[in-house]
Amino acid sequence: MTKLEYAENWGTLMEKYITEVYKAVMSYDTEAVKSKVTEALDGGADPLRIMNEGLSRAIVEIGDLFGREEIFLVELMIAAEACMGGMEIAKKKLLEKKIPIAKPKGVIVIGTVKGDIHNIGKDIVKTLLETSGFEVHDLGVDQPAENFVNKAIEVDARLVASSALLTTTVSNQKEIEEKLKASGIRGRVKTIIGGAATTAEWSKEIGADFYAATATDGVTLIKRYFENTT
Amino acid sequence: MRAKLEVLNKKELDTIYGTALDILAKIGVSIEDGELVKLLKDNGCSVSEDNIVYFPESLIERCLKSTPNRKRTTRLCGRDPGNDMLIQNGQEYPYAISHVLMNYYDAMSSTYRGLTKEDIRRFVTLSDHLSSIDGIWMCTLMPEFDKMYTYCEYELAVRSTTKPVCVSSFEPGAIPPTYELAAALAGGEDELKKRPLTVAFCEISPLTWNIYGCNMLKATALWGIQPVITVETPMGDTGPATFAGNIAQKIAELLSGLVIVQLLKEGLSVFFVVPLEVFDMRTAQICLASRGDFVWACAVGQLEDYLGIPIISPISPDSKLLDMQEAYELSFSLLTRMLGGNKATVIHGLDQTHAINNELLLLMDEMLISARRILQGIDVNAETLAFDVLADVASKIENKRRSGHFLNQKHTLKWYTKEHLPRRDALIDKYSREKWIEKGSKSFIQRANEKVEEILKSHAPEPIPQEIEKKIREIHQKYRIPDLV
Repeated sequence: MTKLEYAENWGTLMEKYITEVYKAVMSYDTEAVKSKVTEALDGGADPLRIMNEGLSRAIVEIGDLFGREEIFLVELMIAAEACMGGMEIAKKKLLEKKIPIAKPKGVIVIGTVKGDIHNIGKDIVKTLLETSGFEVHDLGVDQPAENFVNKAIEVDARLVASSALLTTTVSNQKEIEEKLKASGIRGRVKTIIGGAATTAEWSKEIGADFYAATATDGVTLIKRYFENTT
Repeated sequence: MRAKLEVLNKKELDTIYGTALDILAKIGVSIEDGELVKLLKDNGCSVSEDNIVYFPESLIERCLKSTPNRKRTTRLCGRDPGNDMLIQNGQEYPYAISHVLMNYYDAMSSTYRGLTKEDIRRFVTLSDHLSSIDGIWMCTLMPEFDKMYTYCEYELAVRSTTKPVCVSSFEPGAIPPTYELAAALAGGEDELKKRPLTVAFCEISPLTWNIYGCNMLKATALWGIQPVITVETPMGDTGPATFAGNIAQKIAELLSGLVIVQLLKEGLSVFFVVPLEVFDMRTAQICLASRGDFVWACAVGQLEDYLGIPIISPISPDSKLLDMQEAYELSFSLLTRMLGGNKATVIHGLDQTHAINNELLLLMDEMLISARRILQGIDVNAETLAFDVLADVASKIENKRRSGHFLNQKHTLKWYTKEHLPRRDALIDKYSREKWIEKGSKSFIQRANEKVEEILKSHAPEPIPQEIEKKIREIHQKYRIPDLV
């Protein structure tokens, strides 16, 4: 192939790369996503277009399918992880090329409260938010209230999300509210609570901004909040 | 089908069968048709002055041997051969047949009304759509069809489904037009012999073939129609209150019909429909979904294997509402039959075989899928034991704690659907209470009602071909049957 032929075919080739990456995510094929993104970037594809038109487009569609209950959570989670794998490779390429990475849609601190070691719901929220373009700082499980506050100050977070699955640990969500107020940042930081032991009434009682009955409800609420404030 | 419940051992089955042979040989069967009495006498039966016929064991054995579907395949047919039900050993799962009855229960207004042709169209169309329903049985006895009800029900059903359609009849006069339409749908009389029309009719307990039953035996033999012999021996009413004795009586009555069919037309396939009713001594009602039925249901699969002839077993809730009683009766009746190895069931709606309901079909659909999954059992192999995937999940450690899970594992992606048969459009509510409220706080019946309307808007049964429409017009003219659509 001559340089001219290559240049003439470039648009088609770029479309092919994007389509292959998109299809790999839609097929829940983690390995294929990595290999297709690598192949595309090695072939000279624009990493931003691979991220936006290949990976992000696919995960938004997957999210919509899950929202319409047309696919199961496991499909969403695998697609999200596959997407994240592809994003990491594309981000590396952007850094190499010194191309600025788009600003995150929002900065969030997330964790499971002290005394509670349940992580699955929290991990679902984290994964889905990350693939949607949010910067998520995951504290992990069994985290005292001050860790939520300190991390929120450190990363200049706009939302703190806490999970509690045991009735014996829900009081720690109230403590997060109190410590956020005491630190003086509560005015610029919204809070969302979730987990099996929580209810809408409890959320209201402690003064949290949002309550999520399920992990996916939480993601929807968070996305909606940031869409309306930016 | 792996899971199986056995309530009778071989010795007990032999004893029950031996008693059935004794009943036929020593107590005999009343036959109200002189021609049939003579036929039986000519073939070795002794006959009393009251036309009680005593069957020798050798004749029963001979007739069982000449029944072609015995220990082989029984075929129930509809318009599309690809949908035929093949009842046989080793079938993938027990078949389920929905039954159209004489009334419709409107779940949204909690009222009953007489069945209409539109009700039949909607119910059969739904049955055609649902993959868990394998065939349709018709017995509406709608007054507007008069003595031609067998034909009218058959035509209305085949218009709305390509699945097998069976009919019940007590009117031999309606057999010829039904046969002609079945032959046209099968592609001619020779094809109809291979994929026969199936017609059910009833013997009268205790041990009596009355003139109506005899006429139907003769009509099916004459036309080469696959007869379904039905016996009803309500426990404590026209049959013993004990299970062993009641079952022995049932077998005797069924075999008497089978012998007559084989003597009238040797080589005609035949099978049985056997409900187990209990005469409720408190209300003086024959009840169909009582504890007695559940016990019988556990045994029916063993009996059909023993005899080598399929016994379709009806599931008939007594409840008048789509309520907790309905769910209890339906689930116990269904699960016991399935665990007992029954190869095919026919599912009535509610109100003691008197009414059908569309929303109930969707509940049956859910129950059938669950029951069939139970029968599949548990696969044990390296992949399902999931050792490697567990090791991978457990290897994820954050802050000295295991943090992995299976939600993002390809193993889950592959096996979740295979093991659990989840439905993307499930009607069974699994939301959190908040989400359920957000979605309108709907009951199962409300959700099912919406789904029914959605299916009926989107599902169109395969239309009847033009040449069959022409044949139908000819049949209407010939037998003076008014247009049904």
